Amino acid sequence: MINDLLDPRKTFGEAVIEAAEKNPDVVVLSADSSSGSGLGAFPGKFPERHFEFGIMEQGVIGFASGLATTGKIPVFAAIAPFVTARPYEMFRNDLGYMNQNVKVVGRCAGLTYDQLGATHHSIDDVAIIRTIPGVTIINPGDPVTIKKAVHAMINHIGPCYLKIGSPKMPVIYPEDVDFRLGKGIVMRDGTDVALIGTGTVLSKAVEAAKLLEQAGISVRLIDMHTLKPLDRDLILAAAREIGKIVTIEEHFIAGGLGSAVSEICSQEFPVKMKMIGIGDHFASNGPYEELIGQHGLQPAQICETTLKFLTT
Amino acid sequence: MNNKELLELEKSALEIRRNILRMVRDGKSGHIGGALSSAEIVAALYFNLLNIDPKNPRWIDRDRFVLSAGHKCLVLYAALAERGFFDKKILDTYTDLDSKIPGHPNMHKLPGVETNTGALGHGLSIAGGMAMGLKMNKSKARVYVLMGDGELAEGSNWEAASAASMHHLDNLLVFVDRNKLQISGPTIKVMSYEPLDERWRSFGWSVRIIDGHDLTTIVRSVKESPFEKGKPSVIIADTLKSKGFSFAEGKVDYHYWKANPEEVARADRDLNIIGEKLKVKSENIADDK
Repeated sequence: MINDLLDPRKTFGEAVIEAAEKNPDVVVLSADSSSGSGLGAFPGKFPERHFEFGIMEQGVIGFASGLATTGKIPVFAAIAPFVTARPYEMFRNDLGYMNQNVKVVGRCAGLTYDQLGATHHSIDDVAIIRTIPGVTIINPGDPVTIKKAVHAMINHIGPCYLKIGSPKMPVIYPEDVDFRLGKGIVMRDGTDVALIGTGTVLSKAVEAAKLLEQAGISVRLIDMHTLKPLDRDLILAAAREIGKIVTIEEHFIAGGLGSAVSEICSQEFPVKMKMIGIGDHFASNGPYEELIGQHGLQPAQICETTLKFLTT
Repeated sequence: MNNKELLELEKSALEIRRNILRMVRDGKSGHIGGALSSAEIVAALYFNLLNIDPKNPRWIDRDRFVLSAGHKCLVLYAALAERGFFDKKILDTYTDLDSKIPGHPNMHKLPGVETNTGALGHGLSIAGGMAMGLKMNKSKARVYVLMGDGELAEGSNWEAASAASMHHLDNLLVFVDRNKLQISGPTIKVMSYEPLDERWRSFGWSVRIIDGHDLTTIVRSVKESPFEKGKPSVIIADTLKSKGFSFAEGKVDYHYWKANPEEVARADRDLNIIGEKLKVKSENIADDK
């Protein structure tokens, strides 16, 4: 139901089990991380298809690559920085360069491991993984699209990185939403400004769009759930038709969604842009809602930043 | 293995060394030290032990060979060419733009190459995953890995070693090419791994130490593996760096060599002497019959 609050990890785990029921090649690899990734039920259901490795993320990426060469579809979920920043070279060489059909899932991504501090935040994962040729990056913004993203990535042949958060998140979409990898979703149409949101803060962008509409601003709101390949047609249409773009992400401004959008616009149709995200500093620690508020990611802040952007 | 089979393998090892020289002889540079030290291991694998089909390099039940020490690629290219995976003319393209035989192997460019290695400490994990997948598929295929001894300082290897024993991957066999030299000097002085056999054993592996240039022992050891049921096996192969090029043997300076005409001529002479010896041996075997 729309607006229900659901646990993203539980949703993710249920979707992987569904996918594994349909596809016998799906196997799950754990770096002492399955239970914390919503996959606690997987080993009981598929004991022969669950491999525990303990805390050795770089090694698990290599094992996943090798398993994929034998026709398996490995799913490896763990805390986001430990499957991206830590084993970056394994991700690049063993999955990207070898083009292996492995699905890496970073959970508790962004700042959602709020009070655990900067070692456990993952606000650089998109920046580093998007430099790897051939890797699909998916950052769904609600439980319905998390589920659809899992099935889409299992059906897609090639290396994927899926990121999900940890606090409960509101259902934004109906069950029958048309979710396709590489195609952003226009959630509402408008003419004054394009807001492009992604992942854990999509719901904040949705609320911000409502506030802006109340302030008389006509908003085109786009959910950019696939960060690579990026939906260039949708971005260029927003640039041409509206001319003002605000990006919203729980990630460093360096290298994330805003950077990716500007790489397209600045070369093909330069427009004014505002990037809302985390600046050039490590984030602090504390309750999630307050923490993202330190980076202007609450709806009222997004609304205010957008209004200022539109008037300057 | 009878004398005739041994002779054939010795000839293969010689041709591998000739192919290694062929790739770099025209003033090119390459990691010859570790390629030459592992020539017997690779000859034994590709010309006796591996269950492979050059005409069907992606055959699902093939044995896999993972060159973890990707910089030893010259020995892999030399063996694959000799075994008929690709036209030997490709050996003359080493260092060319878009060559199918780059300075570290690329599985997308050349048939028979299983992995893209080069960064050290990756091969064992990938091979472990292959071994795991083959077991799941109930395949009889086995996975062989060639590692350098300098490479063993990479911590990722020991993650993989733990996991391979924990998951009882007895279809996995590692060769450590213990040539005892790396680019900065003697490996035990750069970062000691000794006692190497005890180290592997403590990680749950079954270990043998052999002479890595003794083809009979290499073949017999592999045929006797897994050395213990339920455990991965490692063969620590004691070798001589740059074996076969007399001027370079055991010298750290030849880890990476830029070929020059004088040394190429000496290498040619060295290999021709081996060739002559094998010819005599061949005639003697024929006379015995």
